[in-house]
Amino acid sequence: MSVEDLPRKESNILKEHDGAVLGVRFNSDGNYILSCGKDRTIRLWNPHRGIHIKTYKSHGREVRDVHVTPDNSKLCSCGGDRQVFYWDVATGRVIRKFRGHDGEVNAVKFNEYSSVVVSAGYDQSLRAWDCRSHSTEPIQIIDTFADSVMSVCLTKTEIIGGSVDGTVRTFDIRIGRETSDSLGQPVNCISMSNDGNCILAGCLDSTLRLLDRSTGELLQEYKGHTNKSYKLDCCLTNNDAYVTGGSEDGYIYFWDLVDASVVSRFRAHTSVVTSVSYHPKENCMVTASVDGTIRVWKT
Amino acid sequence: MDSDEDDFVFYGTPIQREEDLTSRKKKAIAESSAQLRTLPSWKQEVRDEEGRRRFHGAFTGGYSAGYYNTDLEGRFLGTSSQFDTFGFTAAEVARKEAEKEQKQRPSIIPGPVPDEIVLPATESVGVKLLLKMGWTRGRSIKDSHADALYDARRQARRAFLAFSSDDPKLKITGSESIKDDSENFPEPPVNEDIQSSKSTPVYVLNPKQDLYGLGFDPYKYAPEFRGKSAPGFGIGALEELDAEDEDVYATGYEFEDTYVQEIEEPAKLSLEFQKKKDQKDQGNLPGFRIASNSDYQMERFEAPLIPKDFVPHHAFSGPLEINHKNHGIPPPDVPPPEDSNLKILIEGVANLVARCGKLYEDLSREKNQSNPLFNFLLGGTGHEYYARKLWEAQQKCIDQPKQQLDGKAPPGVKRLTAESRGQILGERPLERSSHDPSPSDASTDVQLQFNLTDTFINSAASFSEIPDSEKPFKDDHAKQERFEQFLKEKYKGGLRSTSSSLAGDMSEAARARERIDFEAAAEAIEKGKHGKGNKLLFPSSMDFIPGGVMQFTSGAAEAKKDLQTEDLMGKKMYPKREEFQWRPSSLLCKRFDLIDPYMGKPPPAPRIRSKIDTLIFTSDSVKSNKVEKFIDVKQDISHVQETANQDISKSIAENEAEVDVEVENIERPVDLYKAIFSDDSDDEGEELNVKKMENQEKKAEVANTALSRLIAGDFLESLGKELGLEVPPDMPYPAQISRNAVLQKEIINENARSGNLMAENNSEMSQNHGLPNDQDIAHESGPSKVDAIYGNMLESGSTKTKGTSISNSKLSRSNRENGDDDRKLKSPVTSHRDYSSSLSSEEERKRKRSRHHRHRRHDAGSDSSSDDERDHHSSRSKGRKKGSSHEKSSGSRKHSKHHKHRRHESPSRSSHRSMEKDDTHPRKEKRRR
Repeated sequence: MSVEDLPRKESNILKEHDGAVLGVRFNSDGNYILSCGKDRTIRLWNPHRGIHIKTYKSHGREVRDVHVTPDNSKLCSCGGDRQVFYWDVATGRVIRKFRGHDGEVNAVKFNEYSSVVVSAGYDQSLRAWDCRSHSTEPIQIIDTFADSVMSVCLTKTEIIGGSVDGTVRTFDIRIGRETSDSLGQPVNCISMSNDGNCILAGCLDSTLRLLDRSTGELLQEYKGHTNKSYKLDCCLTNNDAYVTGGSEDGYIYFWDLVDASVVSRFRAHTSVVTSVSYHPKENCMVTASVDGTIRVWKT
Repeated sequence: MDSDEDDFVFYGTPIQREEDLTSRKKKAIAESSAQLRTLPSWKQEVRDEEGRRRFHGAFTGGYSAGYYNTDLEGRFLGTSSQFDTFGFTAAEVARKEAEKEQKQRPSIIPGPVPDEIVLPATESVGVKLLLKMGWTRGRSIKDSHADALYDARRQARRAFLAFSSDDPKLKITGSESIKDDSENFPEPPVNEDIQSSKSTPVYVLNPKQDLYGLGFDPYKYAPEFRGKSAPGFGIGALEELDAEDEDVYATGYEFEDTYVQEIEEPAKLSLEFQKKKDQKDQGNLPGFRIASNSDYQMERFEAPLIPKDFVPHHAFSGPLEINHKNHGIPPPDVPPPEDSNLKILIEGVANLVARCGKLYEDLSREKNQSNPLFNFLLGGTGHEYYARKLWEAQQKCIDQPKQQLDGKAPPGVKRLTAESRGQILGERPLERSSHDPSPSDASTDVQLQFNLTDTFINSAASFSEIPDSEKPFKDDHAKQERFEQFLKEKYKGGLRSTSSSLAGDMSEAARARERIDFEAAAEAIEKGKHGKGNKLLFPSSMDFIPGGVMQFTSGAAEAKKDLQTEDLMGKKMYPKREEFQWRPSSLLCKRFDLIDPYMGKPPPAPRIRSKIDTLIFTSDSVKSNKVEKFIDVKQDISHVQETANQDISKSIAENEAEVDVEVENIERPVDLYKAIFSDDSDDEGEELNVKKMENQEKKAEVANTALSRLIAGDFLESLGKELGLEVPPDMPYPAQISRNAVLQKEIINENARSGNLMAENNSEMSQNHGLPNDQDIAHESGPSKVDAIYGNMLESGSTKTKGTSISNSKLSRSNRENGDDDRKLKSPVTSHRDYSSSLSSEEERKRKRSRHHRHRRHDAGSDSSSDDERDHHSSRSKGRKKGSSHEKSSGSRKHSKHHKHRRHESPSRSSHRSMEKDDTHPRKEKRRR
């Protein structure tokens, strides 16, 4: 994939959110996106046709993160109301509310089988919630973090959390081991490479850092954007060739994965770009911003 | 629902279906009369007038309570029918309607009115009629009054006009004029009508339901609730809107507005808030105006008159005062005496006196009375000169502290004085004090340069006057000087010496390095000045490592670290990888479809906070065991009287062995303790050995006793000193023997029993471990010798220790006899075992962490915690026993180890003898329990 193939043309703009959009995520096949925002709603869109499909309302405060199961049947979301909501996509009803976090919940993810929701909270903990049983108690609380946990990633066997305490902690369920990689800077967002070997960590010193997961080595640093006070997302393109992320000045940056050069940057929003999500297969990207819009980018 | 039914009823109340009611009523009456006749009163049932059984009181306000009440006709029954809870009668419908209506009606009593007090009533006929006539609620009925008044006035005016003008036109155009009038009328009739016709004032319509006074602002102490959007769903009422709820994304976009619009009555709300805000701004209470002239006037007083001759200077009445009593009148300037020696002497004395006070003068005068050189003190030659010099010196002394108070001339800093400047300018130096403020080591041209810059630049208050505490190179005076020069050059401009002669002897590299240091220090100082407003920034020691990396020892200055160096360090440090053990819950593993790595392992221990914690814990249990022992010992002492110690030692050995068997089982991660206690298990076999091998032990025992006693005694003494305990004199061996002998009798008896018990315990344990008993027995033959050593060890420690073991066996016997509460009674025994096992384990621990020993000792010595705690510990240690000694290897190896270390251990036990007394009482009580 050459630089020309990077999604830099705005193909759609989705404006329904009242206020900042805090997160936007492709579903597993890339046909739909879910967004969440300050207006306490979660919205389901078809980004390719620019259609707003559904709104999910139940959160009492802003919704900070949302994730959908691979089979598109369930949603999980979290936010400022300290709860994790487990939704039925079709009916738009809340199936379960998981209470237990002592603070805002920053991020949620389903595991591979959609049986567990793992949430990352301001209360310095990761909590795993069982979707199969009727219990609303967490089945696991990981509280080794020293500060707010901002982001969480799941693999088939691991739970990975990034925290403001500057660590990316990997919890391997198979061997019962916690691996802590301290970056020395507050970690805002972690994102797995598609081959699963690396972790991209967005730090609050306006730097994205690429870590080798097996050794904990710092492979590369990506700079140029501004990220000092907001929780901004970053991710890799679907072929792991480029790193992309938003900036607090409304720009989107593309870096070359290997040599860390900025291959492209353009102004995408009028305000902070809070979230980016890359299509799992195509050259398509969605970005969300504090300006209340979601924009779909294609080549 | 109601509306459907009521569709056809326009006026009046619907007719109730009488047939049903009456038939039921009749039946009821008949029944009740029958009941009354036939049944005794306590068997009669309470029924209402319709023959239904009623609940007592609860639903009808008690009207139908009690059984005779129902027979009453009239009011009570009538009301009860109205309040029928279950049936849905026409009356019920009417009541509901009335209730609904009541809500709309103004009520005098605020809040919901209890139904019992105000009976619901439909509208009276009069009201209905009035309504039909066009009257609306809230209006007074005689609202024609105002109109009437107005009409009367109008009539009068018209008449008046007609009378005065006498103009026929007016009469014709009267209607117009009336119109005009009405326009000019001060109170427009419409207004008047509204105001006067309202019979019900607003405060009745909307009664005040709270207790707040005028001008109450509910948000006064909770401004965060003012004008905020309603809390979201699922947010508790007590959750405040904190800082984290602030809209961090609010930059440039006003989302608050959109929120407000989402709320049902946004416009009204915002209006109200606006109004409130306005009122706030004006400082007004609603309904109040700011008075144009206020009654209250601040009483002001004139400033006191200052006497013209007042000098704003505080005179201290101290030694200084005495010193300077004559400073007002300067003595005449006198030429110095010819003798230069005398001159110097006078000057010196004057300086000293000025500095040290009058006392010094007196002292020296007294001392040197006979010395002709000091005649000037007594008014001899040179006295005038002395007086002058003294005055001068005193002046100087006064000035100096002043300067220091100003903070402008701290002692160590070069400061341009008149003298030095004069010197620089080539003036003939005047008489100078011995204290030369200008540094002598600095070469003159540099000095000149300094002083020039000082002279040229007025803003003297900067780096030249760094307070002493701000000198980063205080320790190295020369360096500090160079630093100051550097600062001057850097910030003051002026002449610049390209080659700093102060650092003349330094190499180029060293100078460069120093320069970097200086840069950094200067920057830090500058920052500090900006940030903290000349506060002391560098409280104590601030060292500059020659490599250019600054190190601040004070926490406050830490933030001032050079960012670049920090970056460098950061790169070196990060990323940093650490690994920890983490235990996923089994359910999580299940959900992730993974095998639980901890499957089958005991549940995780509560997190070990630190190594020290665990150590303390073990030592705690050890201590409790000890205490127990001592008490037992004491009790047993009374029995003690004589003879052969062999058997005793035997029994001791046995007990000891037994003790060793009980391996510590710990509720801590298994691996750790596996590592520590890996070879514990061999003991299991030994305890049975002991019995058989008793005889063999004896010999070795005697031999070892002497040796170990010596060692132990030494150790005990030193330990006692360390712990500050009174060290009892080492017991003579014979005495021990005699005691032991006494014990022996009992022990012999008990040996069998305790042996039994042991065996039992053992089998228990072996069951626990899944080891057959036979195996243990098979083991027995080996380590007899070692056991003997045990016995010796114990003996050597002190008599009391011996007693302990005995008492232990005794205890165990009694336990057995009692047998009822196995767990509780066993605990002492177990704990004893535990103790020794912990002892044995201690050697290993000792090898690993030398700290442990100290800890334990310390704990045991100082801590005398409650019995309950001990109990707890011992019972816990009992629990440990189970399943502990898994992997056991050869007994002999272990024992040799024991031998090595035991010597150190046993005295530590005995050293607690002195504690025993204190602990006895609670112990006894406990046992009684």
